[in-house]
Amino acid sequence: MSSTAMKKKVLLMGKSGSGKTSMRSIIFANYIARDTRRLGATIDVEHSHVRFLGNLVLNLWDCGGQDTFMENYFTSQRDNIFRNVEVLIYVFDVESRELEKDMHYYQSCLEAILQNSPDAKIFCLVHKMDLVQEDQRDLIFKEREEDLKRLSRPLSCTCFRTSIWDETLYKAWSSIVYQLIPNVQQLECNLRNFAQIIEADEVLLFERATFLVISHYQCKEQRDAHRFEKISNIIKQFKLSCSKLAASFQSMEVRNSNFAAFIDVFTSNTYVMVIMSDPSIPSAATLINIRNARRHFEKLERVDGPKHSLHMRMR
Amino acid sequence: MDEDSKPLLGSVPTGDYYTDSLDPKQRRPFHVEPRNIVGEDVQERVSAEAAVLSSRVHYYSRLTGSSDRLLAPPDHVIPSHEDIYIYSPLGTAFKVQGGDSPIKNPSIVTIFAIWNTMMGTSILSIPWGIKQAGFTLGIIIIVLMGLLTLYCCYRVLKSTKSIPYVDTSDWEFPDVCKYYFGGFGKWSSLVFSLVSLIGAMVVYWVLMSNFLFNTGKFIFNYVHNVNTSDAFGTNGTERVICPYPDVDPHGNSSTSLYSGSDNSTGLEFDHWWSKTNTIPFYLILLLLPLLNFRSASFFARFTFLGTISVIYLIFLVTYKAIQLGFHLEFHWFDSSMFFVPEFRTLFPQLSGVLTLAFFIHNCIITLMKNNKHQENNVRDLSLAYLLVGLTYLYVGVLIFAAFPSPPLSKECIEPNFLDNFPSSDILVFVARTFLLFQMTTVYPLLGYLVRVQLMGQIFGNHYPGFLHVFVLNVFVVGAGVLMARFYPNIGSIIRYSGALCGLALVFVLPSLIHMVSLKRRGELRWTSTLFHGFLILLGVANLLGQFFM
Repeated sequence: MSSTAMKKKVLLMGKSGSGKTSMRSIIFANYIARDTRRLGATIDVEHSHVRFLGNLVLNLWDCGGQDTFMENYFTSQRDNIFRNVEVLIYVFDVESRELEKDMHYYQSCLEAILQNSPDAKIFCLVHKMDLVQEDQRDLIFKEREEDLKRLSRPLSCTCFRTSIWDETLYKAWSSIVYQLIPNVQQLECNLRNFAQIIEADEVLLFERATFLVISHYQCKEQRDAHRFEKISNIIKQFKLSCSKLAASFQSMEVRNSNFAAFIDVFTSNTYVMVIMSDPSIPSAATLINIRNARRHFEKLERVDGPKHSLHMRMR
Repeated sequence: MDEDSKPLLGSVPTGDYYTDSLDPKQRRPFHVEPRNIVGEDVQERVSAEAAVLSSRVHYYSRLTGSSDRLLAPPDHVIPSHEDIYIYSPLGTAFKVQGGDSPIKNPSIVTIFAIWNTMMGTSILSIPWGIKQAGFTLGIIIIVLMGLLTLYCCYRVLKSTKSIPYVDTSDWEFPDVCKYYFGGFGKWSSLVFSLVSLIGAMVVYWVLMSNFLFNTGKFIFNYVHNVNTSDAFGTNGTERVICPYPDVDPHGNSSTSLYSGSDNSTGLEFDHWWSKTNTIPFYLILLLLPLLNFRSASFFARFTFLGTISVIYLIFLVTYKAIQLGFHLEFHWFDSSMFFVPEFRTLFPQLSGVLTLAFFIHNCIITLMKNNKHQENNVRDLSLAYLLVGLTYLYVGVLIFAAFPSPPLSKECIEPNFLDNFPSSDILVFVARTFLLFQMTTVYPLLGYLVRVQLMGQIFGNHYPGFLHVFVLNVFVVGAGVLMARFYPNIGSIIRYSGALCGLALVFVLPSLIHMVSLKRRGELRWTSTLFHGFLILLGVANLLGQFFM
């Protein structure tokens, strides 16, 4: 394959109003200005520059529910849209009253995928689950999941239930990213060795653009189960502040008498966060360790390039 | 560097540290979670979900314009008001009391609840207390004690507000004592609170025996048409009797002496139905089982009976006063045959009774918590005390003034003024029956309070086992029975227990705590020390006066 070919895509699709723009904004820390929120359907030509997992590009498309003009445009552009797709993420609004129609549009997208990018991974997100009563959520999600799996044959899809108001969105996208990282289990094994060598309490590996946690190693039980999302939120806020000054975030060290935390660029796709609870180890030592490890991990990533999609089981 | 040492908050107004107001001036825009990631002790004040939701809301608010509602949390996502905290940069979190919580009462309900709770059986002893202190001095003392106990109650109410850095929203006064004085404070406030409760229960037992006796006697006499003029008293339709005329210290009355014992007629009935000998024991059969109930919520439903009883008593007192007319003569310092001096040295007995009559300090914080407009707490408390004081004054003055003094001496006024009416008086019979029924429902409540406080402190569990609770109940009932048998003078029981528990919970502890909290803030002035020290001395003098006067 030629390196000048079109970059591989991540398609984020779903009916208009299903929450894709908000989801993208939250995951990728993009500011949503009021006037860019359109009253009509999305024509996604301009959102092609979010780098994701190295060389993937995120494209947002509204699918279904538009007027005839959009319908035609979409149909005529279909092959363009669905070529070179690495990942399809389809968003369903759980409150939608037109289930049949939604399934119909989903199926037509799947047909297009089958024709143009048969190796793409399919993920379905049942979104806005916070609007469903808590005791009914599992039931409703199970129903939808069965329907979707059935409809997706011969392709296989992975389903998640999400809401921007709880941890499910972050966890779903973390799982998606985990499946997209080539060689992820080898990365994890090396991460564990790395952590043990430098005597860290915890080591986290983040995806570079979204700060989704790809993998982590902890040497003992930690109290806060939501710490990954919180760190991600904090760093994304910091990145937003940096971008206002046209600066970009590279690394951070936080230290007090009880612990030291280092966040730094690691490989081309990832950031690393190292937490040391032994304050006597000087920063320089840890930073040297991280730098040396970086080279080693880069080699790992280069061995199996991103073009290989190995079949990874979801953790 | 100087900026770093300045506090991040503006100065908080001293003494008015409202921890549960949604006053926007006190809402701080910072979010600091009190965390110690290394230590093992858990300081979490916030649920994990609320904490991560807060993190999300912070982040999402950066993604849109400030007026944009796209990523604003919808109502169903926001935690319930129990989980909402106001953070301060000092690292602590204060719970928000939901403004639309269903248990907020308007002022009038709070005032009524306080009046209802304070109105106890001490109302029956106020005329006797006025007699012991002298008419004029008695009225003065009622007013003064009302003001004094009101001030001390105000101090109790404010004691939780002056504790910094701690969430005191569900504290009661014993918790405050524990905060300031450690285990000693906790135990002493517990012991004195128990004194007031058990004292009240003993008084109840004596009174219940009394009322049951009179009720039974009335029914017996009515059924068997027995007409006994069994005591010395006035003639006429509105009869007032003097059960123990020989108690008169100026014992020069030539009136015939009666032993006051009810066995004088020698009837079989009087042998088995005796106020001091048998009825206290009959009551055990009725009340001991009730005390062993696990929950007192059933009895709490009958609190309206207390209100009806008091209102009926007021009506009864008014009626009797109209019928009997006023009999007042003012002898200032000397006593005459039928009247008492206006100023007497026995006045501490009245102040002892009033300490218990105006006592609500162990539960005022809880009662005021549900007041809708917390800023009116002081005003509502004052109004409640005013109402209570007026009620006591009304009953005491009317009974004292209407007591028919030419044939009877004012000394005859009994510690339970209903005893001054014969058992054949129908109106008083109704009052006695009402009160008997009401006390039967309040007695288990008091027993429950004793059990909760004692068992809660010793065993940490309100109901550690049937045996523990039973033993406690046997002790309490036994105390009541013994007092009813051998020393059924409720005036003395009330004044001793009142002065004792009042010493700690009314006079000493609130003043001490106020002075200590002022000292810790560095604001203690010598005038305050003098005044509160004087209050403590008054409390001690009140107690000593019971023994020596």
